[in-house]
Amino acid sequence: MNKTKHAASPLTPIAEPQKISSYFRAEWRSLAIVTVTGLIYNIGLIAGPWFEGQMAQCLENIFKGRAGFPDMARLVALYVTVIAAVQLARSLKRLYVRRFANATGRRMKEILYANLIHKSSAELRDADVGSVMTKAVSDVDACAEGMRKFTTEIFDTGVALAAYCVMLLFYDWRLALLCLIFPPVSYVIAGKMKSLVQRTGAAARESAGRLNAATLDRAGNAVTYRISGCEAGRDRDYEKHLRDYEKTSVRAEIWVSAMPPLYQVVSMASGLFILYFGSRNVLHTGWTAWNLAAFTTFLSCYTKLAVKSSHAAKLFNAVQKAQVSWKRIKGLMQPVQAEAAPVVQDPAELVVTGLADPRFGSVSFTAGPGQIIGVTGPVASGKSSFGRAFLCEEPYEGSITFAGAELKSMSPQVLSGIVGYLGHDTELMSDTIRSNVLMGDESVAADAPDIRSDCLTDDGTGLQQMLAAVCLDREVAEMPAVTETRVGTGGVLLSGGQQQRLALARTLAHRRPVLILDDPFSALDKETERTVFRNLREIARDSIVILISHRLYLFPETDQVIWMEDGRSVVQTHEQMLKEIPHYRELFALQEEGDTNEQKK
Amino acid sequence: MSRKNKQISGGSAKGNPSLAIILGATRSHPLLSLGILVTVVGAVIASLLPPLVLADLIDRLTARRAVSFALVLAWFGLIALTGVLEAARESLLCIYGQTITHALRSGLCMKLTSLPAGTLTEMDPGALASRFVLDADTVEELFTSGIISMFADACQIISIFAVLFIRNRGLALLLLAVLPLIFLFTRHVQRRTLASQLDNRKALARVTNFVPETIHNIRTIHALGKERYMRRRYNSAILDSFRAIERTNFYDSIYSPVVLVTQAAVVAAVMLLAASGNAGIRSFFGMSVGTSVAVIAYISQIFSPIESIGMEIQTIQEAVAGVQRINEFLRLEERPAALMDGEAAAGHTAKDTKTDGESAGQTPQGADAVGEAAFSVPEESGYLTDKASHGTAIEFRDVSFGYKNGDSVLKNLSFSIPRGGHYTLIGRTGAGKSTIFKLLLGLYTPDSGQVLIFGENANLVPDSSRRALFGCVEQTFHPVPGTVLDQITLRDGRISESQAELAAETVGLAETIRSLPQGFQTECMEALFSHGQWQLLSIARAIASDPEILLLDEITANLDADTEKTVLTALGRASRGRTVLAISHRLYGNADTSAQASDGLQLVRSPL
Repeated sequence: MNKTKHAASPLTPIAEPQKISSYFRAEWRSLAIVTVTGLIYNIGLIAGPWFEGQMAQCLENIFKGRAGFPDMARLVALYVTVIAAVQLARSLKRLYVRRFANATGRRMKEILYANLIHKSSAELRDADVGSVMTKAVSDVDACAEGMRKFTTEIFDTGVALAAYCVMLLFYDWRLALLCLIFPPVSYVIAGKMKSLVQRTGAAARESAGRLNAATLDRAGNAVTYRISGCEAGRDRDYEKHLRDYEKTSVRAEIWVSAMPPLYQVVSMASGLFILYFGSRNVLHTGWTAWNLAAFTTFLSCYTKLAVKSSHAAKLFNAVQKAQVSWKRIKGLMQPVQAEAAPVVQDPAELVVTGLADPRFGSVSFTAGPGQIIGVTGPVASGKSSFGRAFLCEEPYEGSITFAGAELKSMSPQVLSGIVGYLGHDTELMSDTIRSNVLMGDESVAADAPDIRSDCLTDDGTGLQQMLAAVCLDREVAEMPAVTETRVGTGGVLLSGGQQQRLALARTLAHRRPVLILDDPFSALDKETERTVFRNLREIARDSIVILISHRLYLFPETDQVIWMEDGRSVVQTHEQMLKEIPHYRELFALQEEGDTNEQKK
Repeated sequence: MSRKNKQISGGSAKGNPSLAIILGATRSHPLLSLGILVTVVGAVIASLLPPLVLADLIDRLTARRAVSFALVLAWFGLIALTGVLEAARESLLCIYGQTITHALRSGLCMKLTSLPAGTLTEMDPGALASRFVLDADTVEELFTSGIISMFADACQIISIFAVLFIRNRGLALLLLAVLPLIFLFTRHVQRRTLASQLDNRKALARVTNFVPETIHNIRTIHALGKERYMRRRYNSAILDSFRAIERTNFYDSIYSPVVLVTQAAVVAAVMLLAASGNAGIRSFFGMSVGTSVAVIAYISQIFSPIESIGMEIQTIQEAVAGVQRINEFLRLEERPAALMDGEAAAGHTAKDTKTDGESAGQTPQGADAVGEAAFSVPEESGYLTDKASHGTAIEFRDVSFGYKNGDSVLKNLSFSIPRGGHYTLIGRTGAGKSTIFKLLLGLYTPDSGQVLIFGENANLVPDSSRRALFGCVEQTFHPVPGTVLDQITLRDGRISESQAELAAETVGLAETIRSLPQGFQTECMEALFSHGQWQLLSIARAIASDPEILLLDEITANLDADTEKTVLTALGRASRGRTVLAISHRLYGNADTSAQASDGLQLVRSPL
């Protein structure tokens, strides 16, 4: 069985991912096998009871001297062969119906993720969309599971029940009709019980929710309760929740676990008819003349039917659940195109004209390759919004052109070849140091010969240079798995400063003609900050860097400074700024003073 | 009390504390345990009988004798009895399972109260909560779907064997040869399945994390044009999961067919041998036609418990980890029981008797009564009566302290604060300011020296007296589930609604709260209050019990100037007539005289 080969092959894209039938069609090969083997298995199922009857009959014949050992040997050989063939069909059916579900789940997840990745950050920040997306993965599983159960049960319940019924009717139609009264009776009872099961189940889930909240409260606020001496009261309250939970979940579980054996008993009531009227048939005093084989087969066949039919209810539940899940994710399943890698544009001039926002007024300036523009101002003066304007997440007012082209009218793909961005949030991946810097791009070039790491090996990518540039190479070299060290979700395994430098290394590895850096040094000490800044200058020598910061000691080295305050902005050189903006001068002097203090220490 | 104390620590350190809790709960419900035993064994025996009746019936038919309706009825009666006994067994097991879970969770909760504060702060609340919820469930499963079900299945196998041994010795021996093989095959498949399920779970953990991470990092992904890269990574993660599931599917698909074919082979062999011309063999497999039908029924009955036993072994193996985690928690060192009030001490007594095997403390009314009684006389200790005569509210005498695994934090610290004085401790981060509070609250014991509250050792203040003595405004507000009123009272029965309203009045928040849709009874939510208002609520919580001493922990950090002013005004009102000690890395209010308390710590008189 070449399972791995099948699994590794890429999935064929499907044309209409928002239609459930597309997924059935995409897996038609598996489904064809399921259909053939499913029919063989389920029709073959009646072979078991038939053979059991024949063997019992044969044994009787042998005892009565009407048959010999070879008859039994032939019968037994045939029996084992047929059962083996039927079971082989069954295992193939099981395998392929599961493969169908597995592949469908994988396909749906791929489509879902492809849709997610193209949603704008504004869309995703909408809490509803975010949580729907997060839940969607489990919805996909529910869908695939529902589709599997549906496919399986068409055969297992539908075909098998039909085959059993036909067999029963064939042997004695009157007795068969009489027997078939009871399974529906047990359905009806199960149906009646369903609302009770749902009601008590819902009550238990609610109680479990309350208990969980109480548990979290008791465990999470343990110290608060301790210092307020409220623990005894909380314990009593918790005990109340426990009692309630115990009561409701016993009520809910009893209906679920105690009823199935009873339904089975109801279905088996038909056995009364079979034994009574069946034995009359055998004694030739009943409706039809039976031999012992017919009697045994009929009873065994009915027993299997009773067991099968008790599973039918499960089918409806699974399909219902799948429908609900599908409804939730259907809208997210849009066709997607494969995306191309961004084309990095050549250096060119950036012209900002009348870029306006109520927080910082209006900004205009022109910058050429190699220039660094410092942006500063008090808290909440709109610095970050200014930086984000270049990402065109929302249309900005005014104009930003690069090489004469307006940013907001570019496709996202072109834009990502022009503007590089590093925000407050480092947005690291839970992956290795290496993957976080290169992000799958092995062609990052180390083209600043002066910046080199003396403790990391050069692996042919710019990785070591980027880590050296942000002064992270030494720390990485000391990590257990060096550049293959995993950083944890959002980089939690690193310190704040390391996270920031790693994110900066990533930005430098993906150099763009315009780099927006929003407060990239806030967690660094001044010495490191200066070195990193120098390296940034060197590596980004052809780029325009917009450096947003509220620390000003690097600002003398910038080419222009944008000062934002009280809904207004001024664009000047650092020297002019010192002369003309008293607040700027004050801040700068204060930080210089702090600088000398820190050095004294 | 102290004698009992020894017993407790002795009892919980040794042995298996979660097992003790479960046994205690089992003993306190003797009828339930008996019922389970009766139904488990009863169902097994009842399920053996219908094939025997059937065999008799068929033999009659073979002999061409009529079948009485009574025999038919007996057959159905036995099937019905089996069903009823199974239903009863399932119901009792479900009750029993819930009883165990309840007892375990009660035990965990009591343990929480008896842990020292240091252990509490070190614990991750999420992990702790999962111990309460998930691990307790695992232990419950260990008993119901592990041990008890395994017992039932073993009973079934053994009794079928017993019947076969009498009726058809040859088949019994044949099965004795085949069943171990089937069992080994079952275990092999189950182990492989589990391994691929674990692989899948690992892959799924990656996938589960992927979507929220993508949403969080979407800006970087778009800015760097990494859509393709991310899709590739995601697809490789779900491919891992896909492959693991494929492996599970393979085993899943072959297991049951293999067992059924084996079953058919056994039936075939029996039939063949029974039909053999050799008289010796035939008598060994000697059976009538009726027996042959019964045998087929038994063979199909004996194979399914084998599969179940395999699953139960797995359940037990998996649950062991959960039991260990719970035991680890239950074995943690406890603080002296004398400090705990009513409930916890009652809990201890209950736990004691539990291990003694008398009562499991599962009689809720009894536990309540003990708790209530102890709660109504919480302040019989001398703290609140003679404090008035004591002029010094807080005194540190030559205190040195260091946490278990770290350097010393305080060295020979001495200072004292007179009753009614308003002081601020100023110092850098790490200078030990918060530690001073923890020592004051008696959460830790100093390594040397003394921490005195109104002249008495701080760590001897019982829980029940603490709130009347201290009001503590924490740096961040810890909301509790419930109404706005609950935020102030902490659902503490000793604080009346009017006291809570008075506290809200004092901090100037009463009007805001009354304007809410249901006033003080409004369900509390994040969005109800601003940052500063939460801080005011925190002060109201601290002063609701009209405490003698008010402790303030960095309360104006992260507040803007206007809010800070409001909070300081409220504090001014709240601290009237109380001793106030604040810790801060800067000074607020008015500085007066100051004194160096120790290295890096300054004690400043700062009237509010």
